[in-house]
Amino acid sequence: MKKAPENTNQNNFLKGGFKNDISENHNASLGITVPEGYFSKSKRSILDKIKEEAASEAPKEIKKPLVFWMRPQFKYMAAASLVFILSLTFWLQSANNKDADKSTIEFLSFSDDNLINALIVNDAEFETLADAILINEIVIKAELSEQRMDDLFFNSLFVEDSLIDNYTDDQFLETIIL
Amino acid sequence: MSKDAELVKKLKDPTQKEKAFSELLDVYQERLYWHIRKIVTTHENADDVLQNTFVRVYKSILKFEEKSSLHTWMYRIAYNESIRFLEKNNKKSYHNIDEVPASNLQVLFEDAYFNGDEVHKKLHKIIAGLKEKQKRIFHMKYFDDISFRQMSEILETSESTLKSTYYSVVKIIEKKIFL
Repeated sequence: MKKAPENTNQNNFLKGGFKNDISENHNASLGITVPEGYFSKSKRSILDKIKEEAASEAPKEIKKPLVFWMRPQFKYMAAASLVFILSLTFWLQSANNKDADKSTIEFLSFSDDNLINALIVNDAEFETLADAILINEIVIKAELSEQRMDDLFFNSLFVEDSLIDNYTDDQFLETIIL
Repeated sequence: MSKDAELVKKLKDPTQKEKAFSELLDVYQERLYWHIRKIVTTHENADDVLQNTFVRVYKSILKFEEKSSLHTWMYRIAYNESIRFLEKNNKKSYHNIDEVPASNLQVLFEDAYFNGDEVHKKLHKIIAGLKEKQKRIFHMKYFDDISFRQMSEILETSESTLKSTYYSVVKIIEKKIFL
C-alpha cells in the first residue's frame, strides 16, 4: 500500500483545498485509501445487485394479471356470457307469452266446448258441472264482494259520507246489475 | 437541459434505466464512497453502505421530484444510509454523527486501509471533536468539493453562514494541528 504524503508544511496545510482526484485528496489529507481497482469492482457488484433487485421486483408486477377473472380476455368472455344469458331470458319470456295467449284462447274455446258438449252429454252430468262452476265463479265472488261491503261499512265510520255514498252507489249498481 | 437532468430522465425511462445507472455510477460512485467513508470509518463498512445507497437510489428514482439537484438528493440518501448503518451495528439510534462514539477513531487507525502518520491521526481527532454541523461543512467543502450553494441546499442553511462556519473551522484546525 502506498504511504500517504506527509503533512508537515504548516503554511500550506489546508490551503490547497480540493485537488482534482478525490481519492488522492483523501489519501493525502486523511491517510485513508481504497484497495486497487476497487471502484470498477464495486461498480460491477452494484450493477449485479440492482439486476437481482429488478428481477425480484419483476414477478410482483406479473402477479397482478394472474387474477383469473381480471384478465382482459376473461372480461370479454364474461360480458359475452352476460349478454347471451339476458337475450336467452328475453327470448324464453316472449316464447312463454305466446303460449299463454294460446292457453287463454284454449280456455275460452273450452267453455264453448262445454256448451256444445252439454247438448250431447246427459243433463245430470251437465248440472253437476254447472253447479261446480256456479260455486266457484258466482258464490265465491259474491262472498268476496260481501266482505268488501262489510269493510266499507266499517270504513264509513272514519271516512267522509259523501265519498262513501258515491262509492256504494257505483258498487251497488254494478253488483245488482251484474 | 443539464447533464444531471438528462440522466434523471433516462433513469426514469425503463428502457434506458440500466444504461443510465451505469453512467450514474461513473459520475457519483467515488464521490459518494468518500462521503460515506468519513462517516462509517472503515473501508468494509463504506463498501456495504455504498451498495445500499445505490440500491435505494435505483428503487426510489421515480419518487425523485427534482426539487433539488440529483447530487444533493443522493448525498442525503448516502448520509441517511450511513447513519442507519451505524445504528444497526451499534444497536443504538443516532440523530447525527456527533452521537457516534469517539472509539470509532481507534477502529479507523487499525483499519487495513489507513496509512496515515501522526499528523493525519491528529487531524482525525480534531475533526472528531468538532460539532456535527461544523464537521459536515468542513468535510463537504474541503474533501468532497461541494459548492456553498449546493451545501446550502443539503443542509438548509444560508450560504453566508456556511462560508463563515467553514473558514472558522479551518482556523480552528490550523491552530490545533501544529500545537
